[in-house]
Amino acid sequence: MSKDTALLLKLVKKGAEADIYLTTWNGKKSILKIRKRKEYRNEILDNRIRTSRTMREAKMISEVKQLGISTPLVYFVDQKKFEIYLQFVEGKLVRDLSNKMIVGTCEKIGKIVGILHKNGVMHGDLTTSNFILSRNNLVILDFGLSQRTDRVEDHAIDLRLFKEVLNSAHVEIVGHAWSSFLRGYGKIMGSQKKEQVVLQVSVIEKRGRYANVV
Amino acid sequence: MLCLGIESTAHTFSCAVIEKKGRNGRILSDVRKIYRPPEGEGIHPREASRHHAEHSPQVLLECLEKAHMKIADLDMISYAAGPGLGPCLRIGAVVARSLASYYDIPVYPVNHALGHIELGKMLTGARDPLVLLVSGGHTMILAFLGKKWRVFGETLDITLGQLLDQIGRHAGFASPCGQKIEDLASKSSNYEPLPYVVKGNDVSFSGLFSATKQIMSKGLETVCFSLQETAFSMIGETVERALSFTGKKEFLIVGGVAANKRLSEILKSICKRHNCKFYVSPKEYAGDCGSQISWVGLLESSKKGGSKLENTFVRQSWRIDSVEVPY
Repeated sequence: MSKDTALLLKLVKKGAEADIYLTTWNGKKSILKIRKRKEYRNEILDNRIRTSRTMREAKMISEVKQLGISTPLVYFVDQKKFEIYLQFVEGKLVRDLSNKMIVGTCEKIGKIVGILHKNGVMHGDLTTSNFILSRNNLVILDFGLSQRTDRVEDHAIDLRLFKEVLNSAHVEIVGHAWSSFLRGYGKIMGSQKKEQVVLQVSVIEKRGRYANVV
Repeated sequence: MLCLGIESTAHTFSCAVIEKKGRNGRILSDVRKIYRPPEGEGIHPREASRHHAEHSPQVLLECLEKAHMKIADLDMISYAAGPGLGPCLRIGAVVARSLASYYDIPVYPVNHALGHIELGKMLTGARDPLVLLVSGGHTMILAFLGKKWRVFGETLDITLGQLLDQIGRHAGFASPCGQKIEDLASKSSNYEPLPYVVKGNDVSFSGLFSATKQIMSKGLETVCFSLQETAFSMIGETVERALSFTGKKEFLIVGGVAANKRLSEILKSICKRHNCKFYVSPKEYAGDCGSQISWVGLLESSKKGGSKLENTFVRQSWRIDSVEVPY
């Protein structure tokens, strides 16, 4: 990063995995995502993780566009610096919407996840803060943990995480939001496939520590 | 209020007396006796429960003596009703029931995991922290919301404590092996690649466990170092995710593995990055102890009466996120 551009950087969020800056790319408002070196992580391990996630994210975010899913445009990737320049998406994180809105939006999230799974893509980090509602259009972010996979187990892991997030961060609406999600998911996957994945979710939950053993 | 707490969920049998005044607690005594399996072996539930049964009178007497107390002075008794090993849990429950019925003292069954958290909060002064509970039985990231501790992330299979113990046992150490692994790891800086599995906010250690066994020939110091670095980084990342998602400004680490300095160091640096206050349970009270049980009993007694004797259950599988916390 040269000095001139550094001046235009504004830190938007210190994420868990990367720092997010607001900047410009060729005159366009842009998001710069930098996977910074984590001092606490062993360097070999750290480089391995940062490289694979940066590349994976850049690749997948473009690939899923072909499925008709809204994702930010990728402007530029710097593999050596672990940087990605992305299109800036105006809107509100689903996490910060009103409860009523979240429940409604969950059906759309379910559809998007359905399309991903149907095409053999697991997102890997399905949380309500990885979706932006932008003028009625739902945009999905953050493909750093995504994977190409057709395994029911992997798809179920996506669903389980989303359920866990609803269960912890959106307690008042978890029931409605979850069934709304499943409605959308089922519309794309078909009810038979949906049931199969949902069943696998409960299998995973039972593996959990001290889950009720029936 | 004076409460006797009895802990017997796994390898530790412990009795403690805490005095509660207002919101403050003072530990008057905390006596423990730990079951040690032979080198290279894990806890045998039957043997552990036998150990607890044999040592319970001595631990109880010593605990009362140190607190300068007679049983009749106690206002209440609490015991760890789960989660844990059935045979072990039953010993604690039997001791609690016997004392409660003979001396007519109210009795409270409490959740062991809740004990780790609440005692940690009391001892460190943390008010509304994101909590990492890491022990032989738990690996969970929790935050309090709407009267319950909610799970933001956890292990999908074995716990961090199990991972360290099982590798240690594989190498022929006596469990618990955490300290030994930490000592060996500190002597190396040679990293062998191992699988790093973070699934959203959750971690999975089973693959790491199998892979670590495959590299044993690289030397124990290298193995322990690589294992710790990989496993702790996974925990670090999920904690970071939970911190940035919840926006909590306090972080507390509790449970047996909280005693590990390398883990603390990693988490401290994460907290610094997120402008978050870092708290860790004092080493003496990080692992299983009667105090954690006594303190939860005292907290519960502020909102409800003791249990009837026929309702003094034990439950091997009793998840903390199913416990309502009214205080």
